[in-house]
Amino acid sequence: MARDYYELLGISRNASADEVQQAYRKLARRHHPDVNKNPDAEEKFKEVNEAYQVLKDPETRRRYDRFGPNFRQIPEGYEEMAGAGRGAGGRGFRQAGGRAGGSPYGAEWEFHDSGIDLEDLFGGMFGARGAGGPIPGADQEAELTLTVEDAYRGGRRSITLAGPAGPRSYEVNIPPGVADGQRIRLAGQGGRARGDASAGDLYLVVRIAPHPRYRLRGRDIYVDLPVTPWEAALGGSIPVETPSGQGTVRVPPGSSTGRRLRLRGQGMPNATGTPGDLHAEVRVMVPPTLNERERELFSELGKVSTFDPRRSGT
Amino acid sequence: MIAYPIARPTRLTLEAFARQAGLHPQLVQQFVALGLVDADRDAAGELWFRPAALVTVARVQRLRAGLSLNYAAIGLVLDLLDRIEELEATSRRSGSRPWT
Repeated sequence: MARDYYELLGISRNASADEVQQAYRKLARRHHPDVNKNPDAEEKFKEVNEAYQVLKDPETRRRYDRFGPNFRQIPEGYEEMAGAGRGAGGRGFRQAGGRAGGSPYGAEWEFHDSGIDLEDLFGGMFGARGAGGPIPGADQEAELTLTVEDAYRGGRRSITLAGPAGPRSYEVNIPPGVADGQRIRLAGQGGRARGDASAGDLYLVVRIAPHPRYRLRGRDIYVDLPVTPWEAALGGSIPVETPSGQGTVRVPPGSSTGRRLRLRGQGMPNATGTPGDLHAEVRVMVPPTLNERERELFSELGKVSTFDPRRSGT
Repeated sequence: MIAYPIARPTRLTLEAFARQAGLHPQLVQQFVALGLVDADRDAAGELWFRPAALVTVARVQRLRAGLSLNYAAIGLVLDLLDRIEELEATSRRSGSRPWT
């Protein structure tokens, strides 16, 4: 959890105060929960704020440099006691106790006095500025990528996302036939609120991954149907893979490449209406190499047939 | 027989809205004047809010607290964020990915 503050801000240990500020501003803009809906952005935003709260103040920065992440547990007077005298009870330590505005320190810190409360935790998240009141959490969005088959079948699925206290897992119920762009709402699982306001919602946005065989247009599924020249010419029942398993298409005689055969209702299921259709598109394939007999037969066919696809009106 | 639930009021008075947002009514009025939050003004000059505007108020507060923006800047940021969302939605729907 406690990553190095310089590393978090992406700056070197001897960065100037301006560089600290610049790095912080850039990262804060990029990860602000209203700008970046990614679930891990909020955590990143909070960490960046934590780092900045410490590094922006030359005094706390010096102490951080010297004592590392546990610097708050070293009494403020420690160095002074060891070295030159200085007034006891300096600023830094009192702030860590957490009453005065916007202490950024997360729960991972162990405090000598138990001044920490939720207000401090979230106050820190939004810097020292936002005075006081509760602020509801932001909504978040995460993508849920499904294969065409998964979207077709639906069912339970567990997903893991980055959360404030490490990864969190959700079991979500995917309705059969879920469409690309549909959103599944997990109420109250979004960004955390400050104070006693309500947390945001987490939306899982369904993305259907490109499939080597199936193409989706709405609820309709398009699939290539490779056939041999004789199947295309003579017609027949041709097996075809569908998301629900093996199906059969009746290819009428004389089907050229591009002919679409519709299997009504074999597309994506629809919980609230009619399901989509499956369109099998004929693709006539020829053998890449011919054996002697095949060559003979094709040549004979070529001599006998009067079919010319390049002549109009055929 | 179907039981119909009582419809909840779809608009809130300034006081009710401010209470739900946890803000002083005057600050809410200022938000409206700055064009950050939409409200309807009735014939008597009273402001009426849709409950959905509470989400916008929360956004305003988060942006102010988190990025130290002033309210004028937040107005711009909200407009731009909404526009980006719209553009992303259209580019997803049409154009770039007609096929999946």
